Amino acid sequence: MEKNLNQNLFLQQFNESDAIAYNEGFTSSTSDYNFQLLENAYRNTGRIYAKLKLAVDSNNCQDETCAYELSEIKHLQESPQLSLDFLSSLLAELSVTDDPNFDPNNNFKYTAANSVMTAKPGFSKSDGYNVYLDLLPGGAQQIVFIGPAFEEPLVINNTALNSLIESNTSLVAPTPDINKDMLRLLTEVGVFSPDMVGENGELTAGAKITEEYVIMNPDGSFDYEIIDIGNGKGRNTLKYDLDKIEKKVTPFINAEVAGLMSSEQDAVAAWNVYISKGTSVEEDDQMVQNANAGDSSWSYTEDLPLMQDKKVLFEKKYKEYFMNNYLKQFTTNQFPTVQADAAVFDLAEAKKAKAQKFIDDNNL
Amino acid sequence: MPIGAGAVIGLGASILGGVFGASSAKKAAQAAAREKRRLQNKLNNLEKNRQEVVNPYEDYTSLSGMITNPFANLGVATGAAEIKIEEADISLANTLDTMRATGAGAGGATALAQAALRSKKGVAASIEQQEKANEDKAAAGEQRAQQQKIAEEQRMQQAGAMGKQFVFGETEKRQVKEMDRTYAELMGTEQDRAQAKADQTGAITGALGSIASIGGGMLG
Repeated sequence: MEKNLNQNLFLQQFNESDAIAYNEGFTSSTSDYNFQLLENAYRNTGRIYAKLKLAVDSNNCQDETCAYELSEIKHLQESPQLSLDFLSSLLAELSVTDDPNFDPNNNFKYTAANSVMTAKPGFSKSDGYNVYLDLLPGGAQQIVFIGPAFEEPLVINNTALNSLIESNTSLVAPTPDINKDMLRLLTEVGVFSPDMVGENGELTAGAKITEEYVIMNPDGSFDYEIIDIGNGKGRNTLKYDLDKIEKKVTPFINAEVAGLMSSEQDAVAAWNVYISKGTSVEEDDQMVQNANAGDSSWSYTEDLPLMQDKKVLFEKKYKEYFMNNYLKQFTTNQFPTVQADAAVFDLAEAKKAKAQKFIDDNNL
Repeated sequence: MPIGAGAVIGLGASILGGVFGASSAKKAAQAAAREKRRLQNKLNNLEKNRQEVVNPYEDYTSLSGMITNPFANLGVATGAAEIKIEEADISLANTLDTMRATGAGAGGATALAQAALRSKKGVAASIEQQEKANEDKAAAGEQRAQQQKIAEEQRMQQAGAMGKQFVFGETEKRQVKEMDRTYAELMGTEQDRAQAKADQTGAITGALGSIASIGGGMLG
């Protein structure tokens, strides 16, 4: 697992950096990307096809039913379509490794395969890489990648790939766009009024949690918290009933998690890239490298299907992630909606007034 | 499309365009299928955890226990009358003794006795009326108090029912809205998936002619 993480991060950085452009050895040599997958695979098929056809037409088959020859002719006729389907499916799967939020805990060989298929610098024939498409007896096809990054050849069979795709799983797990999901979730949890949702389906710039969740005094006035803004000055900020907010949002978060769990491999990717460490998308952007889960990563080979304890942990951490990185900004340092209460005031005087009120209220 | 990708696959631009076009369409179709599954599960969860339908009147109870008949124990003021009769008898006896002592005639004694009796009966009747009026007032007061109690209980029960109905209605509105939105998104993903499939078929069909030519026109 750690090997995947290290190799993927290395390949990612290798592809993203321009290091190779400054390597004179590379720039002075020929980069041959002429793998000619289809040309090599189909070079002799015309002759084979003609032989089989001739055998059938001249009644010169292996047996009198010509079953073998007819079957092979059928496979050859179907193979171009299969090859195109296979290559396009494979490219679609491998392209996930190019996504900006790709989980480096995926098998690193797919990242290398994508680099070969998309002819990235450093992955040419001249660099020791090659790729073959084999038409197998019985109509199946396989693609074989070899080269320094693979250690052993990476073989992918088209029937295996198709069955994976048909069963709604994938070779490389894509990472859900958590930022997009959570921005949408903010509008769905029921603590903002509908008029605070913009045309783009996200909260408007000045969105505020409805007053239903603001703590009030018994007399109906706002119960403010005073914050020190420096230079002896202070401001009132609204206090929120966080328990009430949590009770309100929890069912919607649970529904969101249930949706995510429909593809457990996606949930693993989300866990590894975002949820486990709890760092926000903005925080990740500010780092040289995302705060990937590292030692708390879940493995695609060992942890799927997810056990119940992991699902519960995921739900708990997903909720924390939403509360801390998305909802918290709306419950902290929110200035009063009452104009008169929103002004900056002298902190010492406010403290004195508060003490006097306490004395008066308690007949001291 | 990266430079050199054509060489990786081999052959010309039409195959390359077809393969990469189909690959993008497949990726889009898979993303749409994933999104559809996600939304379907979310919708199922929202439906499964939908609130129970409440009966806002379930706390309504019969208030008949609070109703009593305040007139049931109305007292009959016979005691006062009996006392008055006794008082009248004593008074009559005393007057007769005096008349006997002074030598008064039998007719005078009878008249006196009748007058005394009338006077005492009148007093007793007055007391009785007073007592009856007081009891009536007390009964009427009790009746009013009971009516007000029942009305207040009814008001509280009605308010409780309306409150429950409001909370249920508001929660239901929000949940249904969320379910509607999720369902609409779900329908959208199906359209996306269908479109992606169509794009994929188109891209592959365009590329097929070129690949057939490698094998010497075996499809022809």
